[in-house]
Amino acid sequence: MNGESLPQTSRIPLYEGSTQFRHWRFSPEQLAETRSLLNAAAVAVIRDAFESDQPGSSSQVSFLSAEEENLLVKLYLGKIPQLCGIFRFPEEVEATAMSYLKRFYLKNTVMDWHPKNVMLTVVFLATKTTNYPIPLDAYASRIPKTTPGDVLDLEFLVAQSLGFDFTIWHAHRALWGLWLDIQTLSDIPLDDLSKAYDGALTSIRASRFTDAEFIYTPSQIALACLSIASPALASAWLRSKSGQGSDDAISAMLEPLKAMVLSQGSLPDVEAVREVDRRLRLCKNPEKIPGTNAYNKKVAEKQRKAEEKRLRKAELQRKAMEDGDPFGSTLTAQADLDDDDDDE
Amino acid sequence: MDAVERANAEHQKRWAKDQKVGEGTYAVVYRGREVATGRKVAIKKIKVGLFKDGLDMSAIREVKYLRELKHQNVIELLDVFSSKTNLNLVLEFLETDLELVIRDRSLVFLPADIKAWTAMAFRGLEFCHRNWILHRDLKPNNLLISANGHLKLADFGLARDFADPGYKMTHQVITRWYRPPELLFGARHYSTAVDIWSVGCIFAELMLRTPYLPGESDMDQVRTTFRALGTPTEEDWPGHKKLPDYFDAGQYPKTQLRDLFTAASTECLNLLSRCLIYDPYKRISAKEALFHPYFSAMPYPTHPSKLPKPAKKGSTMPLEEFDGNVDFEGSGPGVRANPPNKLKRKLSSDELGSRPIARRLDFSQHS
Repeated sequence: MNGESLPQTSRIPLYEGSTQFRHWRFSPEQLAETRSLLNAAAVAVIRDAFESDQPGSSSQVSFLSAEEENLLVKLYLGKIPQLCGIFRFPEEVEATAMSYLKRFYLKNTVMDWHPKNVMLTVVFLATKTTNYPIPLDAYASRIPKTTPGDVLDLEFLVAQSLGFDFTIWHAHRALWGLWLDIQTLSDIPLDDLSKAYDGALTSIRASRFTDAEFIYTPSQIALACLSIASPALASAWLRSKSGQGSDDAISAMLEPLKAMVLSQGSLPDVEAVREVDRRLRLCKNPEKIPGTNAYNKKVAEKQRKAEEKRLRKAELQRKAMEDGDPFGSTLTAQADLDDDDDDE
Repeated sequence: MDAVERANAEHQKRWAKDQKVGEGTYAVVYRGREVATGRKVAIKKIKVGLFKDGLDMSAIREVKYLRELKHQNVIELLDVFSSKTNLNLVLEFLETDLELVIRDRSLVFLPADIKAWTAMAFRGLEFCHRNWILHRDLKPNNLLISANGHLKLADFGLARDFADPGYKMTHQVITRWYRPPELLFGARHYSTAVDIWSVGCIFAELMLRTPYLPGESDMDQVRTTFRALGTPTEEDWPGHKKLPDYFDAGQYPKTQLRDLFTAASTECLNLLSRCLIYDPYKRISAKEALFHPYFSAMPYPTHPSKLPKPAKKGSTMPLEEFDGNVDFEGSGPGVRANPPNKLKRKLSSDELGSRPIARRLDFSQHS
C-alpha cells in the first residue's frame, strides 16, 4: 500500500456496535444502583411536590422502594403478551415491547408514569419499530377504556426515554440460530430436537420477565435456555464450537443465568403487587395529576416561561425594526438557540 | 422537569439552527452547527404532530437504523432530540449529492472517479447488508458527498431489516428507475439483491451521465429494462413468470453492454453486468463486488478529496434533458455531460419499436 495510511479499522463483532451493547448493558450491581438512585431522586422530587401542594403533607406518605417499583413493572410486563395475543402480533413485537418497558423504567419512576399506561404505548411503538404498524384507531378501539390520545400522549416520552434506540437484539432469534446450527451436528438424537427447541423457547419467554437482557448477550441467554431444556444438546453445540478446548468457562458463566431465568422468570404474586399498587395511588407525583395544586402550579410556570419567551422575541424584533432592518440583523447566537422557528 | 425532559433539553442545547435549507410536507431541513465547536450540521425537523398515528414510519426507520450504523460511507446521525411536537435529527453536514455531480455539465469524470464513487457506494452498502439492513431507496440523490469527497448512503426512510425471513415485504419500494425486475413483478420476498440492482443502475448512470433505465411508468419500466438488457428467458431467471405481477412485456433481443458503454474497460463491464443479472440469486453481493477485479485493476480509484464536485453550491442549473457522450479530448477518456441540445441525435427507434433507453454514444460530431 502506498499513499496515505489506511485508518486502522479493527473489526468489532456486529453486536458490539449495537446500541443495545453500547447503551443498555449493565452489571447486576450497576442495575441495582441505577434503580435505587432513580427511586431516591424520584422520591425527593415528589416529596417536594407534595410539600408545595400542601405543606407538611409528605410526612405520612409511604413512598415505593426500588424493589416495589420493579415488582409493579414486572406485573405489567406480563400483560404485554396478553395484549399482543389479542392482536395476534408476531413475537418480535411482543419481545420488543417488553424490552422497551424495562428500559423505560430504568429512566423513569412508576410514581410519575403508571405502567398500565406506558404498556399500551410501548406495544404501539413496538409495532412500528418492528415494521408491523397498525392504525392507531384500530389499536385503541380494541382496548377497553382507551382513547387514541392515551396511547399517543406518552409516545414521545417513551421514545426519548429509550434514547431513540429502537433496535433490540432478541434472544429468541439467537435461539433460532442455535437450532439451525444444531441440526447440522452429527450424532445427536433427532427426535428430541423439536421438543428441546420448544422447551428452550418457553425459557426464553420466561427470561423476558428478568433482567437477563441487561446483563447477558442474546446468544448467552439462548444457550442458557437451551441448556435448561436439554443440557446434552447445549453442550454438544458448545463442543462443536470450541473444538477440543475446554468449555468450562462458558458453562460456568451460564449457571447464574440459568438460575436467574428459573427463579425470576415468572410473574410476581398478584396480591403482593396489589398492595404496592394501592400505596402507589397515595404516593403518585401530584404534578402529574390534573387538578392538584402542584399540577396547576407546574402548568402556570410553563405558561409563564412561554410568555417570557414571546416577549423576548417581540423585543428583539422591535429593536431590529428600530435598527432599520425589519428582518432582524444577525441575531445573536443566544436568540436562535431556541426552537422558536416553529410553525405551530 | 423530569430527568428525561432534562436530558432532552441538554441534547437540544448542543445544537443551533442557522438557516432553513429545504422544506417538505413533513420535514424541514436546516443548516446548523454544534454550539461548542462550530461544526456544521444538518438538522432535519420532522413535524410529528401532523401524523394521526404518532411517530411516522419513515422517521422511525431513519432513526432506528442510523442509530445503529456507524461507517465512513453511511451518513452519521449525531443526535436526536425533540422540541415541542417535533422530532429533530442532527445529521452530519454533507455538501452535495451524486445527482448534482452527475448533472453538472462542467465536470469531466475520469474512469478512476467513477471507480471511486462506485467503490464507496458498495462499501456503505456492504456495511448495511452486513448489519441485516436493506436500504430500499438507492439513487444518486440519496448518495451524499462530504466536503472531502466521501460518498455516504443517506435517507433510510424506506429501510428495513431482513432478519425475519418468511415475512412478506412490500414491493412498493425503490424509486422506479432504480427498481429491480423482481420488485416490478411484485415479489414479496426479496433480499439484498434489490439494492445491488440500484447500485448497478447508478454505476451505469455515472458512465452515461444520464439515467440508464428511465421508465415512464411501472409497466414501462419493465419494457425499458428488457429493451436495454434483453427479455429474460426461463433459464436466465427461473420462476420469474410465476411472480404475482408478471406480465408479458414483449420479446427484446439480448444486447451487449459494450455497444452502449464503449469507453468502459472489460472489468468494469463485467461488474456492471453482474449487478444487472435478472435472477436475484445470481446477482453479485456487495461483498463480492468489493473483491471484484475492477477495483484492483488500473487505474486505481481517485482519492476522495480529488474527485470532481460542483464548484459552487447552488450554481447547478436545472436541465431539461441530459445526453451522454464521451469526450476524447485530454489525456484519457473522460465522460462529460453535454450542454443542452448540442447533440440532438436522430434516434434509431425503428428496430426497438419505441423510445430507446439510453442513447448510443456518438463520436461523430464532438466539438
